[in-house]
Amino acid sequence: MNPLHKEFILTLEGVNKTFDGFKAISALNFYMDVGELRIIIGPNGAGKSTMMDIITGRTRPDTGRVEYEKNTDLTRLNEYQINRLGISRKFQTPSVYVGHSVFQNILLSLKGDRGVFAALCHRITPSETERIHNVLTTVGLAEKSNWKAGALSHGQKQWLEIGMLLAQDPKLLLVDEPAAGMSDEETAKTGELLLSLEGKHSVVVIEHDMAFVRQLGRKVTVLHQGTVLCEGSVDQVQNDERVIEVYLGRKKKDKT
Amino acid sequence: MRPESKRLETWLTIAAAFVLIVLLPALNALPLPEALHVSDFTINLYGKYLCYAILAISVDVLWGYTGLLSLGQALFFSLGGYMMGMYLMRMIGDLGQYHQPIPDFLVFLGWSKLPPFWQPFSSFPFALLMAALLPGVLATVFGFLAFRSRIRGVYFSILTQALTYGACLLFFRNSLLLGGNNGFTDFKFILGQNLRTPGTQRGLYIVTAVTLVAIFMGCRWLSRTKFGLIQQAIRDSENRVLFSGYAAAHYKLFVFVLCSLIASIGGVLYVPQVGIINPSEMGTEKSLEAVVWVAVGGRGTLIGPILGAFGVNALKSWATRAYPDLWLIFLGVLFVLVTVFMPRGLVGIPGQLRGLYQRWNRTSKDPAPVAVAEVEAEKGGL
Amino acid sequence: MSLLPRRLNASLGLWVAVVFAAITLTRLTSFAATAAEPPAAEAVIRKRLALAIVAEEADQKREIRELALTGSKVVREILSAWPKDRILLYTGDGGVRIPALIEDETDADGKSRAARIDTGAFLADASGKTLRFATTDITTAETDAALRTVLQLALDAMALADPLPDARKTAILKLGNSQKPLNIVILQERLPLENDPDVKKAILESIALLQLGDPDPTVLKAAIEQLGRLRSIGSLDLLKRVSAREGLSPEIRRVLAESIHGIDNHINNVNLVGTFFRGLSLGSILLVVALGLAITFGLMGIINMAHGEMIAIGAYTTYVVQNLFGTGFGFSITLPFSFGGKPIAFGLHLPGLNATGSLYESYFLFAIPLSFLMAALAGLVIERLVIRFLYRRPLESLLATWGVSLVMQQLFRMVFGANNVQVGSPTGLVGHFDINDVSFGYNRVFVIGFAVLIVIGTWLLLTRTSLGLLIRAVMQNRDMASCIGVRTNRVNVLTFAFGSGLAGLAGAFLSQIGNVGPSLGQSYIVDSFMTVVVGGVGSIVGTVCAAIGIGTADQILQQTTGSPVTGKIVVLISIILFLQWRPGGLFSIRSRSLD
Repeated sequence: MNPLHKEFILTLEGVNKTFDGFKAISALNFYMDVGELRIIIGPNGAGKSTMMDIITGRTRPDTGRVEYEKNTDLTRLNEYQINRLGISRKFQTPSVYVGHSVFQNILLSLKGDRGVFAALCHRITPSETERIHNVLTTVGLAEKSNWKAGALSHGQKQWLEIGMLLAQDPKLLLVDEPAAGMSDEETAKTGELLLSLEGKHSVVVIEHDMAFVRQLGRKVTVLHQGTVLCEGSVDQVQNDERVIEVYLGRKKKDKT
Repeated sequence: MRPESKRLETWLTIAAAFVLIVLLPALNALPLPEALHVSDFTINLYGKYLCYAILAISVDVLWGYTGLLSLGQALFFSLGGYMMGMYLMRMIGDLGQYHQPIPDFLVFLGWSKLPPFWQPFSSFPFALLMAALLPGVLATVFGFLAFRSRIRGVYFSILTQALTYGACLLFFRNSLLLGGNNGFTDFKFILGQNLRTPGTQRGLYIVTAVTLVAIFMGCRWLSRTKFGLIQQAIRDSENRVLFSGYAAAHYKLFVFVLCSLIASIGGVLYVPQVGIINPSEMGTEKSLEAVVWVAVGGRGTLIGPILGAFGVNALKSWATRAYPDLWLIFLGVLFVLVTVFMPRGLVGIPGQLRGLYQRWNRTSKDPAPVAVAEVEAEKGGL
Repeated sequence: MSLLPRRLNASLGLWVAVVFAAITLTRLTSFAATAAEPPAAEAVIRKRLALAIVAEEADQKREIRELALTGSKVVREILSAWPKDRILLYTGDGGVRIPALIEDETDADGKSRAARIDTGAFLADASGKTLRFATTDITTAETDAALRTVLQLALDAMALADPLPDARKTAILKLGNSQKPLNIVILQERLPLENDPDVKKAILESIALLQLGDPDPTVLKAAIEQLGRLRSIGSLDLLKRVSAREGLSPEIRRVLAESIHGIDNHINNVNLVGTFFRGLSLGSILLVVALGLAITFGLMGIINMAHGEMIAIGAYTTYVVQNLFGTGFGFSITLPFSFGGKPIAFGLHLPGLNATGSLYESYFLFAIPLSFLMAALAGLVIERLVIRFLYRRPLESLLATWGVSLVMQQLFRMVFGANNVQVGSPTGLVGHFDINDVSFGYNRVFVIGFAVLIVIGTWLLLTRTSLGLLIRAVMQNRDMASCIGVRTNRVNVLTFAFGSGLAGLAGAFLSQIGNVGPSLGQSYIVDSFMTVVVGGVGSIVGTVCAAIGIGTADQILQQTTGSPVTGKIVVLISIILFLQWRPGGLFSIRSRSLD
């Protein structure tokens, strides 16, 4: 955890956030390397989603430093400005434009000028069509290009949202429970896709499904009561006594 | 949308535009036998409905397309109307009751010469400019504040309602020097033409019809650009739009200002044809009435508001004469029924029937298409 | 769960009853005060009066003063009729002069009857036929200047002894402003007898006012100091007039300036407190009106545009109850349709109780719970017919309920007419009391007390009853609540009916301070929505703060801008700006879930 050895894409230091007396995030420190794939786990209410909210500008922290790349203070920016810096987020419940076709959903997510007048003058170019097609092929929705997004199943909406993230070509992807609502086969495919992004993009994955976490097999950060409990490989984390106590242990107890 | 239905739609639009712009005025102007002749009264009435249709489109582009239910559109409509009214008041000259060179109500309030801000309104272009500027600036300021603090959904409706209410109170005051609760009336000339001749009224009708068709085409174009897609995306999932890097507030502000201008144009055309403008035109009830037209016709489509404005107002013209006491009950019940059972309005009826048919047909076999129908219904429900 | 409705009734019934009994009873009891004199005493007084009128001058004056001390109504009547030449001296059998009071009423010939002062019976001839007199040919009891002064002094002294403190105070202030130094004596005589501190203050003030005309500088100075000490607002003009006099000593000028300054300050304070009090009462009105909305809108997310009509239902219920206590209530409607050749018509006539006096006044006690029930009933019907389809479509609830509001307004017009109807206030709510020169209207005080009790009741219902727990559960997460077995439908209905009932209470209440007409609710709907939004949707505490804040701001702005409309517009603009600062309102409930 030496901040000097490498360039971080994301740095959270001493972040605190309180909701009506409830400490959602307390003294959170979190560092992420460029091109890293990181998994965050933690019991409900551990502050995973709030941490995402803080990074993406949905919530402002009470205190603390949130820095992106070098010297970009995210706490002063709002959602769309942060997105334009190259940070994209997939929500826990799939958030797609249900009234638009799958094609249009990706079109609206393509990297490009986000201004009002650009949108007024915009015409679809062949290269854009091709990029959209590529993205749709990657997420396996090429054949449903003209379907209304609202007509897709829950798992397909998850894929579509991942596709929308890919279309933005972000530097940092924040993915909240991507495997929820997917079949085992789809889950495995999602895992492969995320692993393929590693290196070119930095990825943060929040996940509950331990099989999926094991499949990804990358560094895991465990959050508990709004702060980092421990960090390490899946095996290290699963054998950590504190983790067993607050998280896995509790789970085992539930089962017996 | 399939190409053939698109072509059909285009042809229907052209046909409707032809009937409105050319056929009706021609049937009014030509010396024809009784059965074919369109009376001056009808032309004037339809002119009024066309203005309402313009207002309805402005409501729909905001509500049906962007998800912003504004209860302030009647305010922008009336502001346009008031600017036009000021010009028309100046054109009365000294032909008023008091035979003074200033409007009668000013004489009544004890003014002997024109207040300075009235001076430039003897110029028609200036009045038009103000009809664009005043609603535009008001919408910009209000929209900026509202969208900046992320006021959305019902809160936006409530705030626009409050804005309208405040403006209405203001215009009722005599000290504003805009005619108080009587407003402006007894207009005589427009651009040198006598307002009361059938020819002038026909001319105004044609201008209104052309404007409506132009606004319709413009909004149709807009809805098909990427801008239109973003607009509807804001309606369906504003968060996703924000997290995709679009400044939703800028888009909403643009649409809000645009719609205030459309409404204002409706008001500008309305006043010379109806011959009166007063503060009761800008009450919240008027805004809500316009929302009724859109809901009845079918929001989220551009033909819906036009159908609704014509349909509901034709019904109103008939019912207020036939059953003056019961008209409001009709309107109220109609509105409740439409909102509860026909969320997509008249335009949505075929789709609703199709959905029912599909559900009837396939409930036992395959549940998936039912889900589609439900999703669509929900989307209509917003 | 099956206990639900009973629990609701119990808790509601309890606090509604407590509220109204407490407030209204105290006011209703206070007006059965003035008691009649015992007949025996009256007979004696009448005899003495009759004798006094025909007595010799010296005896006459003494008698008058003594009679005045009885404080009897008859004495006052006769003494005030005397200088107006309305005491007839009738020469009866054997030249006995019988004094009698000429009646005000005259018959067709311009003649009046006269009542004997010694017995109170009308003068009659030997056969027992009542005599009638023309005012032109009678002898009346004479008065000269000296006697008139005595009579006036006696009458004034009597007024000072009136059993009602307010009447005494009025009489005292009248004397104080009479500028007749002679009156000082009467006031000084009365001073040790007076027990009411308020009236005592008025006596001191009046004496000082009269002493301002005194040529003796020490008396003048003392009077000025006294008025300054008493913070006498009524004396300000006179003090200013005194300061315009020539030849005042510097000492007196100093005292004068001090007193005037003190009184000016006092006036400012009084105005300030008055403004806040009016603001508080306006805020309470807003609060009562908005509280129902805070339930239906804040908790349920339903934009009920018919909320105003729920208020109107409460007001009209009060009107109907009032008429049922009076002459009855009825209406008839003829529809423009016919069935079998006859137009469809229906109507209703309910006979009234023809009650009078305090029974009639007590109609309001019955009207309050009934207006709650009627509005709740209407809310229940609307919820079942319309709103239950719209829980997931808030914007559309706005539109559908507007339709409902149109229908209801028109029904009001058909049943009650398009014009305003008259709702009288119980006497207990008319008038005002003063504390330190600030005037507190009883109806305004009632408004504030009523609002406090309603808020406490609502708060208790929501936080201390199992129904409240269910309501909060359903409003926070309808799906989850239904999953754990809450009958969400029933909770929805009850919550909406409760919110509507609160609106009905507000209506009962508004009927006491304004006009009742078909569009009564419309004038409050924008204000109440703003109140809920500013307070923070879903927060009762927020609604309370917002209502009081907006009410006070409105009153202050009305005072400073001088026009209610400008004040209102400024308030609206400030609300819009306020929401820039706190988009979620004063007490926003922050949610971590995605919308």
